[in-house]
Amino acid sequence: MNEQNADKYRLHLMLCAGTACVSNKAFKIKEVLEQEIKKQDLENEVLVVMTGCNGFCAVGPVMTVMPDGIFYHTLTEEKIPHLVEEHFLKGRPVKELMFTPEKEEIVIPKMMDIGFFARQTLIALRNRGMIDPEKIDEYIAREGYKGLAKALTEMTPDDIIKEIQVSGLRGRGGGGFPTGIKWQLCRQAPGDVKYIICNADEGDPGAYMDRSIVEADPHSVLEGMLIGARAIGAQEGYVYIRAEYPLAMQRLLIAIDQAKEYGLLGENIFDTDFSFNIHVKQGAGAFVCGEETSLIASIEGRPPEPRQRPPYPATSGLWGKPTNINNVETWATVPEIINRGSDWFASIGTEASKGTKVFSLVGKINNTGLVEVPMGITLKEIIFDIGGGIPKNKKFKAVQTGGPSGGCIPASLMNLPVDYEKLTEAGSIMGSGGMIVMDEDTCVVDVSKYFIEFTNDESCGKCNSCRDGSSALLEILQKICRGEGEESDLQTLEEYSEAIKDGSMCGLGQTLPNPVLSTLKYFKNEYLQHIKYKRCPALVCKEIVSSACQHSCPINQDVPSYIGLIAQGKFEEAINIVLKENPLPLICGRVCDTPCEGKCVAGEWDDPIAIRSLKRFLADYEMKHKVGTDAKPKEAKEERIAVVGSGPGGLTCAYYLALEGYQVTIFEKEEEAGGLLSWGIPEFRLPKDVLAYEIERIKKLGVEIKTNTTIGKDITLAALKEEYKAVFIATGAHKGLKMKIPGEETEGVLDAVAFLREFNLGQEVKIGEKVIIVGGGNSAIDAARVAKRLGKETRIFYRRTKNEMPAISSEVEEALLEGIDIQYLVAPVNVLSSNGKMDTIECIKMKLGDMDESGRRRPVPIEGSEFKVDVDTLILAISQQPDISLLSSENGLKVSRWNTIEVEPETLHTGIEGIFAGGDVVSGPNTVTGAMAHGKIAAKMIDKYVRGEKLERTYEVTRPAVYVDAVALTDEEISSLKKPEMPCIPVEERTKSFKEVELGFSEAAAISEAKRCLRCDLENRGENGGKGESA
Amino acid sequence: MPKLKISDLDKISQQVRKSVLLREGAGRAKVTVHMGTCGIAAGARNIMSTLMDEFEKNNIQDVILTSSGCAGLCSKEPMATVELKDEAPVKYIDLTPEKIKKILTEHVLGGKIVEEYALARGSERVS
Repeated sequence: MNEQNADKYRLHLMLCAGTACVSNKAFKIKEVLEQEIKKQDLENEVLVVMTGCNGFCAVGPVMTVMPDGIFYHTLTEEKIPHLVEEHFLKGRPVKELMFTPEKEEIVIPKMMDIGFFARQTLIALRNRGMIDPEKIDEYIAREGYKGLAKALTEMTPDDIIKEIQVSGLRGRGGGGFPTGIKWQLCRQAPGDVKYIICNADEGDPGAYMDRSIVEADPHSVLEGMLIGARAIGAQEGYVYIRAEYPLAMQRLLIAIDQAKEYGLLGENIFDTDFSFNIHVKQGAGAFVCGEETSLIASIEGRPPEPRQRPPYPATSGLWGKPTNINNVETWATVPEIINRGSDWFASIGTEASKGTKVFSLVGKINNTGLVEVPMGITLKEIIFDIGGGIPKNKKFKAVQTGGPSGGCIPASLMNLPVDYEKLTEAGSIMGSGGMIVMDEDTCVVDVSKYFIEFTNDESCGKCNSCRDGSSALLEILQKICRGEGEESDLQTLEEYSEAIKDGSMCGLGQTLPNPVLSTLKYFKNEYLQHIKYKRCPALVCKEIVSSACQHSCPINQDVPSYIGLIAQGKFEEAINIVLKENPLPLICGRVCDTPCEGKCVAGEWDDPIAIRSLKRFLADYEMKHKVGTDAKPKEAKEERIAVVGSGPGGLTCAYYLALEGYQVTIFEKEEEAGGLLSWGIPEFRLPKDVLAYEIERIKKLGVEIKTNTTIGKDITLAALKEEYKAVFIATGAHKGLKMKIPGEETEGVLDAVAFLREFNLGQEVKIGEKVIIVGGGNSAIDAARVAKRLGKETRIFYRRTKNEMPAISSEVEEALLEGIDIQYLVAPVNVLSSNGKMDTIECIKMKLGDMDESGRRRPVPIEGSEFKVDVDTLILAISQQPDISLLSSENGLKVSRWNTIEVEPETLHTGIEGIFAGGDVVSGPNTVTGAMAHGKIAAKMIDKYVRGEKLERTYEVTRPAVYVDAVALTDEEISSLKKPEMPCIPVEERTKSFKEVELGFSEAAAISEAKRCLRCDLENRGENGGKGESA
Repeated sequence: MPKLKISDLDKISQQVRKSVLLREGAGRAKVTVHMGTCGIAAGARNIMSTLMDEFEKNNIQDVILTSSGCAGLCSKEPMATVELKDEAPVKYIDLTPEKIKKILTEHVLGGKIVEEYALARGSERVS
């Protein structure tokens, strides 16, 4: 028995000593804990117990303090003295070391109240964190070996098999074959000598449940094997465990010794005629050994290659004798079924999949760890309720279940109940229970490539189809990831996959194409993006992407190059690189929504590089010093081109057409050119002189702008077509949508875009003193900041939370700073009025409900939470649509149900001879750079059209235009670099004026910020990189 | 150690039962000694060790012994709170080893509140 009597202590500190926590210094923590406990004279009161894996590996080292169940995480040596004094001596649990879920503020002291633990049901992991795995008495005290006692004294072998059959237990190693039937086949096989084997050769990337069970509760595996041996009639058993699991192996050997000492292994166990011994066989970690015939070959000392079945191991297995193999989790579950009965077990789970399953939750998930859940739980519950969702608020994209033999299940199927059948239907498998969670930044082609690389490596080589087939798959996937794929490759991938499945002898080959097939099934478009458009939407495939900022920029701004030049102080060269792809840098430097910064690699652990502010710095520098080289148009052409609308799309298109030598006329409905840039964005974000300077840049190329001219009214589109060789329509989307609530036609209810237009064009706007803006986009924020500057009491109501707000986040922060009250999760439902004027609105509180298919949580009203608010002006900034009534009536333009013009998406051609369209009028409300990108495409396509060439686009992988050297930095410099604060005018001044709020970086600040850039473009220069000359 | 008989399983369980109950957080009763700085200064550690000795001496297994911070009534320390399952907690004040022994026997084990040492029944609500 144990020499140490744990009973005398009042507190047990259950410190996790699973492999993950041990690698985070759990043993060192133990040492310091014991020192401090001694220092406080508590060594007779407080006991430190090293347990197996607790499961919550993401926050290790972890410790649960019993009996109170307080859960501490991320322990370090330094934190221990304070913890021991405060909690164990003075009884004050230490809040700072308790768990707080991501995005929440309230700490959760008790383990069982933490979502990660509360939603789990433990059977195979029943003793994890509860016992010291090296103490057999503690296992016995938790009902250990009772199942064995029952099996040996109260049940016949047939009873045992029947009990397992009735329970519905299926193999947890992957196949899901009914365990009872497997046992019966082996029992019925003729022969006196039989073997059982425990497969602990866990090899799926990211799966570690078997290791964890052996580490936390080795006796449960031994007891399961003893019961199985009794049922089958085996005298000897093997545990085949991989040599990479030293801690599990050590605990297993200790457990075997203890069981032997107690007579639980050996002759005449519990004084019955049953005798059984267990041997441990170390495996060298070959993935193919997970396959039973290979595993048997390995135990026998032969090369681990599978063989043809039948005969199955049940009749001819180890040394040619009947053999039964189950995996660790299956064996660990058996004692509980015998002890508690098959009815109990069968009451958990689904129709065909009973009990629980252990999953290892890894990848892009907050609560990385090991969880045991009832069969039938949905993927969403596992990933969001237990796993805590995706880090950094990113989108959930897919989950790979079952390791390399499994498949990728997309977010749209997240309500799928998890059991053997449902996963198979979805194109994946349960496998041993690995779950690799992927977010929006995971490329599925890259994931397929990774898994095929793995299986290609692990293929034993016996079957040609598996050996060469996996190499062939890999080559194609590598080609696609380099941007060199062809569309026919997809068909080839499918054909090869089927051939590999058909032609391979064992599970490894038969399942290895699954990652490819499932991603092709659910994410074909992502493959096509790589092949056809040379895009990697997740920005992973280096050879396509070059740098994430450039690849994610709609107008292909060569960000790393101009930032590299800023770092060298070469501002003139830098601005000319910007201008090559962007005729509106002053504007973009102020109002771009910066998809580049969202994907900036530096942003993964620090602030992303302030790319927009750096561009603004260059553009301001150019305006001040006039150092930009004006682009030279090609020789003048005769053809005249009309552009309808002078917003960012129209201006950009006109600029590039003019560079080609065309004679371009822009028609603008309003008095001033600029479209939304002129009247949609207030001056405190985009001053008029800045806009005028950039419009002048375009006019200098000979572009004529006719203002106060509405196409469809002043001139018909037909007349325009007569006079001009081609027409580009870029009239934007400015018609505000209604909320569809009662009373919104009342006086006092305005549309945000109309409000901004009237105000910015200097017309009289009538608003009251109490203003509420409804919406969460940029128009809502702009309208609110204007109202605030007019001295009104200003509030914004938004129906979701801050996290979901589509507005540029820095603008939201400025609005808050300026004293605008933003209320989240509120929606108006009724506009009330007296004497025909609105005076009150009725609102309802919302909460975030279930996720929609895109992974965004829907706002749902909280019943009975209605409340009234006094208001005299309600400004709706919900969304906008184009108003094309004047254009569509006469010309047969195709109009979508969102009132946008339908075009051929790659060429922007409307289908009407010579007429193209782009920007918001095609895409619906989008960004400035989105419209500019359309303008660039349209210019190219119109040029082709005029030349009589075929309208088609060519696509290339992203590469910097020039090679810019990185600036050498010392370690000190690197550690001192920080994102500079953007200088702004003081808040008190803002509400009185419409002066530009941001003042722009100084030269020193710009250089310092540019030095912080990691220059991802240089990483992949290679042969294809930096095709341009050095700068 | 000789070979186990089936009946030995229960014996072993009994021997480590207290640990198991403690780790399962399940007990018939819970005694909390208030161990704030004031409590410790007034002798709370002595109360705790008395309780621990008594628990061991009498082989008390199904009672959880725990500590907590200052109860807020520093002048009455040392203090302890006794909670029987499904009953309201009772606070005891100005404890001595003798008093806590009596409380252990009469209240914790006997189920009868020792009114002379008790402050009041009930506990503040934590909001």
